[in-house]
Order: sequence, then structure tokens, then C-alpha cells
Amino acid sequence: MSSGLAFAVNGRGVTAVIDGAATLLDVIRNDLGLTGTKEGCTEGECGACTVLIDGKPVHSCIYPAVSVDGHSVVTIEGISGSETGRAVQEAFWDAGGIQCGFCTPGFIVTVTALLDSNPAPSEDEVRIALAGNICRCTGYSQILDAVDGVVSGKERA
Amino acid sequence: MTIVGERFRRTDGWPKALGEAIFGVDYLPQGTIHGVLLRSPVPSGRIAGLDVSAAKAMPGVRAVVSAADVPDTRAGWVLREQPLFARDRVRYEGEPVAGVAADTLEQARAARDAIVLEIEETAAVVDLDYAMSEDSPLLHPDWESYVPTLGEYPRRRNIAAECISDPEGVDEAFEAADRIIEDEYRVQRQYQAYIEPKGAVAIYQGGRYEVHTAHQFPFNVRDRIAQYLDIRPSQVRVIGHTIGGGFGAKLDASIEPHACALSKAAGGLPVKIVNTRPEDLLTCPSREDAITRIRTALDKDGNMIARELEVIAGNGAYSGEMPWLASIALHCARGVYRAGPTRVKSWLVYTNTAPTGAFRGVNGVYLYHAVERHMDRIAGELGRDRREYRLQHLFQPGEVLLNDQVLEDAGILGEAFDLVEEAAPWAERLSATAGPMKGVGIGAAWWVTNPMPGTATVKLNEDGSIGVITAATDNGSGAVTLGITQIVAEKLGVQPEDVYVTMPDTDTAGFDAGSQGSRTTRIVGKAASIAADEVIGKIKQTASDLLEAAPNDIVVADGKVFVAGSPDSGLPLGDVAMAATWTVGPIQGTGSFLTPFPDFNPGCATGLMFPSFPTPTYHVHLAEVEVDPVTGAVEVTRYVVAQEVGKIISPTGAYGQVSGGVAQGIGYALYESLGIGEDGRYRERNLENYRLPLAVDIPRVEFFPLEHPDPDGPFGAKGVGENSVLLGGAVIANAVVDAIGVPIDRLPITPEVVLKAIAAKRSAAVA
Repeated sequence: MSSGLAFAVNGRGVTAVIDGAATLLDVIRNDLGLTGTKEGCTEGECGACTVLIDGKPVHSCIYPAVSVDGHSVVTIEGISGSETGRAVQEAFWDAGGIQCGFCTPGFIVTVTALLDSNPAPSEDEVRIALAGNICRCTGYSQILDAVDGVVSGKERA
Repeated sequence: MTIVGERFRRTDGWPKALGEAIFGVDYLPQGTIHGVLLRSPVPSGRIAGLDVSAAKAMPGVRAVVSAADVPDTRAGWVLREQPLFARDRVRYEGEPVAGVAADTLEQARAARDAIVLEIEETAAVVDLDYAMSEDSPLLHPDWESYVPTLGEYPRRRNIAAECISDPEGVDEAFEAADRIIEDEYRVQRQYQAYIEPKGAVAIYQGGRYEVHTAHQFPFNVRDRIAQYLDIRPSQVRVIGHTIGGGFGAKLDASIEPHACALSKAAGGLPVKIVNTRPEDLLTCPSREDAITRIRTALDKDGNMIARELEVIAGNGAYSGEMPWLASIALHCARGVYRAGPTRVKSWLVYTNTAPTGAFRGVNGVYLYHAVERHMDRIAGELGRDRREYRLQHLFQPGEVLLNDQVLEDAGILGEAFDLVEEAAPWAERLSATAGPMKGVGIGAAWWVTNPMPGTATVKLNEDGSIGVITAATDNGSGAVTLGITQIVAEKLGVQPEDVYVTMPDTDTAGFDAGSQGSRTTRIVGKAASIAADEVIGKIKQTASDLLEAAPNDIVVADGKVFVAGSPDSGLPLGDVAMAATWTVGPIQGTGSFLTPFPDFNPGCATGLMFPSFPTPTYHVHLAEVEVDPVTGAVEVTRYVVAQEVGKIISPTGAYGQVSGGVAQGIGYALYESLGIGEDGRYRERNLENYRLPLAVDIPRVEFFPLEHPDPDGPFGAKGVGENSVLLGGAVIANAVVDAIGVPIDRLPITPEVVLKAIAAKRSAAVA
């Protein structure tokens, strides 16, 4: 069964006719051609598919696309549109928080959402916020360094 | 030096941060159709029927292929034993039986589900000891007819490979021993769990196959496809794309040959296959399950005077590269400690499980776990300090090994112990962890830098930028986008951002042995360095005319070419390139490199396929843990690494490799369990129950590099990437046993294992 859908992606209105069972990730990657958001497990475990819906991070691989009707989605392609997002991207690159890079879009989206809601989190808060994203390359140290790079100078919790 | 050893940002980092990088699974050429595989639902059985007629008639279907449609060949890295599609029997759950290509993925899946496959299931051979016994049914009744690719080696029945070293003096020492300490350790499989599942696009056109895949070793994919399809390797072109992690699992072909067969059957349409996560996990060449039995003879003073080590490792149903690795047991049987004459027996055995393969620290992680647990056990039995006992037996400069390889630089081990001691003084750490449920563990290792060949062409472009053409692959480590890049930039006096390295393409670049065993920065970095020397020579030749000076007086630095002593009057590199192009021809150079195997005694063992360890590196790790006696959870509170690296090319890359390898070692020690049920099926079947280390689990690793430059390496570099995984299992297990005071003989040490051990200790205390 197909459904019509109208929502915003990276600040632009889109409409799509989709299969009722489609996930948000299907629509983002296949219908909209935005391949920066990755499919790692389709089980909601690895977090490579993380996008923002109305500013909140979700695993788009298990999120029904029909539920974003009328909402605002930001993917990795749109994250540089915010000051925080751009700073997080730079910081990941600077700190060596990127190795293979497949998990990177999900991490950057998650960290952006964290810092938008809590600009100076403690390291424990950062670790907990990142628990829904798996990185197999870095051992997380340089990802934590990247977050440090963005929050440095701010009073941390 | 201004580039080598300095911090730079990896050249592929910004596209990755923006989400612009095209990974293997993102690649989708015009007109691509979708392939899926029908995989065996059972671990062992005879194929009684396969009817694809209904599937062929399904909407959108372009091709259905099975064993009947492809050459009757067997392929394999070391032994040609594996069919492209199961022909008469299936040997593991997930083995490909047929493939379908259709216009959409949904159509392909529907058609696959319409294939009628009848299998008469047979009992799976699962237990390693049973598989080795004479009573077990043979996985490969025709094993004798299989053809090895590089010469025959010891194998028989379900024993896929055997390496035995039986030196003189072992039995005599055991007879004379004051006491004998004996242990057995078991480990489960570990899934590489790269976040990008395996995928490929194949296109059959003009009698050739073009394959797009995100792969660590494109030339190996080329060769495997050629074996399966019975064609010349040069009829296959493999083009690499950005790799979303591999860790060894993407060193051999997987679904690429099946995509090729489907594309040909579909009239040359591009066919894309991407594993689902469960498919990927169930069929991945994971780290092998193993049983290690180890006995050491001690004299009356507690000195180790002889050892026996037996290891039985699970090969799964087909061998891949595993037979080569069976002899690693010989190189790790004593760890880095003098233990007298040592008998080593290493067996790789077939079971009805997915074929195992390379995972970072191949074989080493469980061998070091066994050896280092055993060292703690001996020290404990003797009432000796665990660190002191290790130092007493530590390899010394000029150490002669079991294969007669000589480690002239083994004194680095002592330096590594000293570095760890400075960071985490043993006596202080013992008292800091003396309380209940706290523990500390220490261990040491040596390891190889993979010596296999590589090549690079360096060209100076007319705009002054540098192109490096190579089939070397960056699996994420930064070996290409930091390592080779910084080496070439340093040589030619430019910035890393002025250097680009091409993606691998087997048509255009020379052979490269893939990203494995920490080889890329050293081997291809050296090849590129040799190529850069040729480029520098040509620059100097051209500039000597332009600047009216002798070539030897010309300096290439800071993006310029100038006469020594006059840096301000030089020419931009691009001007020299342009002048050369239109006078003597474009400037480029080519280099090739490999490391020869160090001398060894070929008579020291049978089945010695990995004869010695080139470019050795040395490692000492220390871990501290806290155990929660209620939940059984283990927290790693501190992790210290001292590691010989030769010369750090990229501090960012080196630290990233060490931190990442340690995380995989922690996962191996505590969480990651790919358990095999009695029926031959994996118990963990997706990332929901295969537990990977998360950001909340891993401490920041304290890393202390040792730099003893290798005269043959580029700027002295040895291998860095692989090694940090080697000792996680060993030192964390030792720390947990120290914390709870109960021996644990297996990995991973899950909460269940901890709680069981604590309960056993309590009931023993009550009794």
C-alpha cells in the first residue's frame, strides 16, 4: 500500500509516494538519493543510519517513513547547515575521529543533537549519548577527543 | 622532517565527514539490477533437489544461476576446494546454493523464496576434538583430489592443515621436571563486524568482468573470480571503493564471483549484491574458535625448562588462507619467554560451520591468551610475582627462536616493560587493585609486519601536485591517506593536501597484497618512496638546465626547486614539471618493495607455511579491571600499551590504530561471542545479540610508542596497525582472575562466566 508524504529534508520541502512499509532510511537513500546516511544493520543497533527528526536523533532504519509526514528531517548532508553541525564535522576530522568513516555520519548527527541540547556535556554524558552508535575502528578515544574539541572553552558539566 | 611524524588530517576525512564518500554499498551504476543468494538453511546435508523453474518465471527476474550453470571448478586461496554454488552437498549454514537477479531487490527476494530446495540433512561435525578423530564423517570425502595453489602441505581427512615441531630434549626435560603445570583454554569465534556489510557490483561486458567492491585486497578478488569462472585473471578488473571497515574479513572474495555469474547470465546488466547484516554475520570468515592445551616443565627453582603446546583451531567448511596461518603457533608457543625446548602441534580442522579467516592478530590473540594465562598460573603456583617471573624468562637480544630465527633486537621487550613500569608502576598497581573485585594483568608479545609485495607509481603533475598510483587499499586505518601520503609529501617537499592516491584498480596498478598485517604504510610507503626518489632525480635533471646548476646542487623542498643555499630564487615544482613534460617528457617514477623472510631452519617443523616473522615488533600491555560481583560485569578501568613501531609516520593514525585494536581486544576478552551450537549454527545471529564494545565500555588507551627505526622501512617505519589487538584477551583475563581469585579458562569472560566462577568459589569455600 502506498502513501503520500510531505516533510522537510535539510530545510527543503519534499513530497514522496512511498510503500507504507518503507523505513525512513529507504526513503532517504533510495527515493531522495541521499546516500550519506548509511545502512549498517537494519536492526536499529549500529546507529550508522542516525538522522534528526525535529532535532532529535533517531535510527532511520527502523523508523516508519509515514511517521515523518509534516516533520523536519536533517541528514548528514544537511548537518553543516547548523553552526554546531559544521563544528562537529571539523572536529571529527581534526581529532582523527574518522577512520573508515562508515559510522561517521551517524556519530556526527548524534553529537550535533547532543551539543545542541547540552553544549558542554561531561565525558560520561558524551559516552552515554554515543551508546547508540557503534564504531568498530577507533575505540572511541579520538571521537571523544573530537567532542572535546567542540566543547573546549565551555564550562563542562 | 616537517611532514613525517607530524599531525595531519587524513586526506579522505572531509568527504567522509560530509557524507559524500561513496562506499562500496553506495555505488550504483545506471541500469543496475539486484542480486540475492539462496543460502543453505542447514549446516550439513545432501542436496536432493533444486528446482528454479518457478523462480525464473517470477516478475522482474533476469537470471537464476546455480551449480548447473557455472563451470564445475573449485576455488581457494591456499587449496582449491570450494565450489561457487554448492553442487551436491552443503557444508555450512549460509553456503550459497543459487543466485537470483531481478529488477528490484524485492523481486529478487521473492524469486529466491520461490526456489524449491530439498536437502537431506546430515549430522553436523562441530566439536573440534571429534572432527579430528578417526570416527568423524569427512566434510570432504574427495579431499585428496583437491589442488593446493602453492604446493602441497600436510593435511588429511578432516585435518585441513597441520604444523608439527618436535625438537630434541622435550621428553627428557619433562621426565626430569620438578613439577609440571598444565592448562587448557577455549575461545569462541569473533566476528569482524565492520559497519559496512559486504557488497559488490559486477558487470559482464566484452568478455570481461568489471567488479566494483570495497575490498582490502582487490587482486585476490580478481584471482578468486578467475578460479571460479575458469578464466584468466586479466579477464577480471576489480575497482576498489571506500571501505567501511574490514579487519581481515575483506581479504578474500565473498559475493563478488556470484555477482559476476549473475551479470553474465543477465546479459551483462550490472548486478549488485549486498549482504543483509544476518547474512554477513553468518557467513563472515570470522576469527576461529580454538582449544589450546599447554604444559610446562619446571625445575626445582621454578625455571621453565620445556613446554608442549597443542592447538586445535576451527577451519569451518573451507580453508581460505587458514592453512598458511597454522604455523603461527610455532612463533607464539612460548610468547616472549624462554621456556626451553618446545614441542608444538597445531591443527586446523574442518567443521560444518562457516569458513573462518583472517581477523586482525590472526591466531595470535588466543595463543597469547593461552601463553599469558599460563604464565600467571605458573607464577601463582610458585608464589612468585607475575611481572618478575616474566622478566626472569624474557627473550634477550640475539634470542634464537624455535625455527632458528634470530631476534637481534629482542632487547626492545625489556624497554617496553620499562615504559609500562614508568606509566603504571607494578608494585603501586598491585596495591591499588588489592581490594576485592579489582585486578591488574600484564602480558607481552612479538609480532610480524606482513612482508608481501606492493608497488606504486608517483607522478609529478604540471600544477605541482603529486599523484600516487597504486592498488594499495585504505581499510580505514589511514595507511594510504595518512601513511603513504605523508611519506610522499615528505620526500617531495610538499604538503599532504598536494598529494592524492588513486583508488585501487587491478587493470591500471601493479600487484598489491592488500591491507593486512600492518603492511601498507611500510611496504607501499617504501615502494612510493623509491618511486619518489626517481621523480626527484628527474626533477633535479630538468632543474639543473633551468637553474644552471649541477643536479647534485639542486634541492627539492617546500614545494619549490632551488639551488642549495638560495631557497628564495627557486622555481615552483609545477614549473619544473611543465618544462620537463614539453622537453624530455612527463616526470614519473615507479617503485616496488617486499620484505624477505628472515632466515629460518626449514627442518624445524612440518607444515611450516608461515616460516618466520619479518620486521618484528614488540609489545607490552597492562590492564586494570573492576568486577561487579552482583551483575558479573567487568569494567576495564585502565589500559596501557607500550609498542615498538619503528618510526611513527602519523601520530593521529598510530594512536587511532592502537586505540581501535585495544577496543577489539577488550571486545574479544569480555563481550564478543560467536558461539556455535551443537547443531553447527551460530547462537548469535545479528548485532542485537552479538555484543560489540560501545563508547561506554572502552577507556582512553595510554599509548607509549618505542621507536627503533628499521633501516629498510620508509623513514624507519615498521607495522603499527594490527598489533594492538594481540594482548587484550590475555591481560584482561589475567586481571579478572586477579580480581576474583578464580581461574577462568575461556574467552569471552561474559557476566555469566564471571558469576559462575564466583559461585563455584563460594561453594568450594562452603564445602
